[in-house]
Amino acid sequence: MAEANTFREGFLCPVCHKDLRSPQKLITHFQDSHSEEQDILKSIKEFYGKAKKKILKLEEQDLDIRSEPIQEKLTLDYDEFWKPQPSGSSRSHIDFFRAIRRRRLDHQTAETNKLIIRLDRLLRLDGTARKQQEQFLVAWIDGTTVSRCPSCASSFNIARRQHHCRLCGSIMCNDCSVFLPFDRAHSIVAPVQNLGISSKEGLKGRNNDSFRICSHCASMVEHRRMIQAEQMMQPIISQLYAHLQNLKSNIQSEVDLYEKMYRSLTDGESTFKLQDAQTLKASIGAKAETIDTISKKIASLPEDESSVIKIEALQNSIRRATSNYIKDYLLTLPPLPSVQELAAIKRYRSLRYSEEEEQNSDKIEIKRVTVTTGWSPSSLEKSVQSEGDPLIDQMNIVRNYIAQAKEAQRFEEVVSLEENLRLLKEAYRQSQLTKIDEKSESKLQKNS
Amino acid sequence: MNVIAAVKAYVTKITEESEPGMKVLMMDKETTSIISMVYSQSEIQQKEVYLLERISDSQTPNSGTPLRYLKCLVFVRPTTENIKSLCYELTRPKYGAYYIYFSNIIAKADIKLLAEHDEQEVVKEVQELYMDYLAVNPYLFSIGLINPIKDLSWDSDALQRSVSGVLSVLLSLKKCPLIRYQANSSLCNKLGSKINDIINKESTLFAFGQSSQALLLILDRRDDPITPLLNQWTYQAMVHELLTINNNRVNLSKIPGIPKELSEVVLSAEQDAFYAKNIFLNYGEIGQNIKQLMDDFQLKAKSHQKIESIADMKNFVDAYPQFKKLSGNVSKHVTVVGELSSMVNKYHLLDVSEIEQEITSQNDHSGHLQNIKKLIENEKVRPLDLVKLVILYTLRYQNHANNETTHLIEMLKKRNIPDHLLVNIIYVSEYSSSISSQNDLYNVQDAVKITKRFFKGLSGVDNVYTQHKPLLQEILEEIVKGKLKENLYPCVGVNTFNNRPQEIIVFMVGGVTYEESLAVHYFNKNHPSFKILLGGTSIHNSNTFLEEVKNAVFNIPKKHSRKLIRHINH
Repeated sequence: MAEANTFREGFLCPVCHKDLRSPQKLITHFQDSHSEEQDILKSIKEFYGKAKKKILKLEEQDLDIRSEPIQEKLTLDYDEFWKPQPSGSSRSHIDFFRAIRRRRLDHQTAETNKLIIRLDRLLRLDGTARKQQEQFLVAWIDGTTVSRCPSCASSFNIARRQHHCRLCGSIMCNDCSVFLPFDRAHSIVAPVQNLGISSKEGLKGRNNDSFRICSHCASMVEHRRMIQAEQMMQPIISQLYAHLQNLKSNIQSEVDLYEKMYRSLTDGESTFKLQDAQTLKASIGAKAETIDTISKKIASLPEDESSVIKIEALQNSIRRATSNYIKDYLLTLPPLPSVQELAAIKRYRSLRYSEEEEQNSDKIEIKRVTVTTGWSPSSLEKSVQSEGDPLIDQMNIVRNYIAQAKEAQRFEEVVSLEENLRLLKEAYRQSQLTKIDEKSESKLQKNS
Repeated sequence: MNVIAAVKAYVTKITEESEPGMKVLMMDKETTSIISMVYSQSEIQQKEVYLLERISDSQTPNSGTPLRYLKCLVFVRPTTENIKSLCYELTRPKYGAYYIYFSNIIAKADIKLLAEHDEQEVVKEVQELYMDYLAVNPYLFSIGLINPIKDLSWDSDALQRSVSGVLSVLLSLKKCPLIRYQANSSLCNKLGSKINDIINKESTLFAFGQSSQALLLILDRRDDPITPLLNQWTYQAMVHELLTINNNRVNLSKIPGIPKELSEVVLSAEQDAFYAKNIFLNYGEIGQNIKQLMDDFQLKAKSHQKIESIADMKNFVDAYPQFKKLSGNVSKHVTVVGELSSMVNKYHLLDVSEIEQEITSQNDHSGHLQNIKKLIENEKVRPLDLVKLVILYTLRYQNHANNETTHLIEMLKKRNIPDHLLVNIIYVSEYSSSISSQNDLYNVQDAVKITKRFFKGLSGVDNVYTQHKPLLQEILEEIVKGKLKENLYPCVGVNTFNNRPQEIIVFMVGGVTYEESLAVHYFNKNHPSFKILLGGTSIHNSNTFLEEVKNAVFNIPKKHSRKLIRHINH
């Protein structure tokens, strides 16, 4: 197999340049022969682990979770020539679905609402002559022709008497009756008021009393109560999760800003200050720490006594997703250049800058105007006095704001203010240019 | 016409329409594969989907309190079974809200049924999103059917599945195509007219108002049984031929001494930059790139070794997550390529492949015969590789005056190759002759430049192991030139004939191969004004192909290979 040699040359050990003929052998070789370097690597890993704990209070194991690779922005060799395409077709059936559902559920909803209104009125009744008042509110069915209980079909007699549902007025026997306690009825009618303190003034000593209702009405009323209870109840996990997501969206804007700052700094621009970026990075780190703590709290929430196994899986999954998020989006933020590096970048840039300036020398004068007028915000009053141009006054005021914003660590505002400043400079430049033009025009006119 | 982008856009739609909150994604077996082709679990977690659930599990009685604070995203195929499970779920909802998405067109009656079961008003959305296919590469999709053809005609479920699969491709790309099919194949005709019927029935759905019409070309695998039998030398194709890729996953557990975390690896160009870069490169280039990958990795590892100052440590901490990720990727590809290279050496696959390629692309009967005979003597070559060689020889020289197939079979028998392998020779020749050939199976160029060197240069196209060009490439060339014959590839129904479509979707009944996918890749690259999308009932390697052939002809009377049957007891 002589012809395969050309490619086999590929599997060389990068340390001792020995040909190992297959990548697997190369790996084993590297592990065996260059184990000392592996050891160093290992000790570093431990060192790193401790450092990590200090820095982000992350556990080593969290970092070792083998995860599938996270989405990267790949420029795939093979799809470069595919243009962006419109999103695919879809067809919604929700209107049709709702129409069918409404037809079936409208009746039930109306019925439930009617019952709730009646219940409310019944609860407001005074103690005297209750039965009459109840019958006044809800017409009771005439029982003379009913000989059997409609729900269990037992015949009524002296032992098994007829009873009326207080909500719909229908007839049933004692066995088929359901009793709705007053306090529960109160909570159904006015759920919010009764959440913490059961409003005792309305009860008037009828605390132990209850309504006799039929099972049909009971199930409807109970169903409504369940839905209300669930809406009201906010489990701890939801609260923690909402907090987590809130922080994440907060951090996202900070990360965006940081990336902008980083790009700007490494480009040698002076829009942002290095310290500002450092402060921001520290703030992101602190937030990452909080996120991490919250997700850990979610993971260690006690299991619901009646819970399905799923809750545990959910909690762990949230934890894993969060640690992936921190690993892949927050810890991979590019490190800031040091002061020396930054200086080098700036030098390089200014060199280039001056070259450019030489090329378009006609603009030099104007640029100098903008640079020399009161750059430091502290000299606000002086510069206001010294400059008569309203544009320059405005610019100085903005500069003052920028300084204040920086003190308050409001980098977003710094950015928008700097943008304002830039626009002002532009406007000023334009006005200067037109002045020059006017002058030259007038000169021309004079000459002519 | 990028199917991966189409599926991704749909998944984003599903996760974003339901507003922020913790979510669970409920799927069936097939939709799970569809999603997992383009998204990994950790990616989908970043879209707030924290739990995955099978719809079939929802039938099990659920004790305990419902998880009202979870939103349930349902993505299932519109099957009767799934509708039944969903109805059950809706009467006892476990979650607070349901967003239901079907992967294809659903009947009104089924929606009505669902609506009638939603008594607690938990359903917030019901939609059709057309991703009813596996998106493998940006321009390659598969339906994932095993043995769709029984006794040389469609299995009725498989036909239905293929119709919905192709329709969903069309809808997800917003194409209402002209349909042409291979005239000599009743399978293609049937599929084409079924698709056409539904396009006509759902005309509002297919009204995209586009000026230029795309072309859907339906082909039959039987026209080219050669391509799936050949050894492959590009990364994706090679991994599939030797290790088998199943929904982007490769099972390595059979390699002795494999670490547990590498027993199944995911090869997805969407998540793996190295794979994306090397997917179409040949064996030699991969060898070089893997070395490069190792070098980069060692360099990184080294730079992490000298930590002397606080600044070094800080840098290390900053770079560590990336480093960790890289190391996982390195060991994955090194293992896969290592296994490929050990198989190539162990089974003398280079020698086998060279003869395969010569048979397919050159004209030298006695020379080929000699080479095959020589290889049969070689104990290292796997029996199935020899059988495949004899199959290629049989297909190539079936009408040659000095055909020696029977002699070769006798030689294989002498090597104690079992009959259940030999019988494949009969199956494939029956399979191939069950369709009256309208194209020359072997596209033999008279003046083949014989380049004996392996991997000459970096392009690797002109080397001895990649001489064979699939029939598909020829058909594509004809389309581009507007020369595809109308009598051989007629239109379905009465349609205005558009000779030069710019966008072409090729669907192959009986499965496609990664070699054809590679051909399409280069075709798209070389013809920027055309866009080709390739799909098939499945993606074959030689093993799955022989399995499918066996199923297709098993009960069919063997008319064409009577001479051979006498020599093989099957």
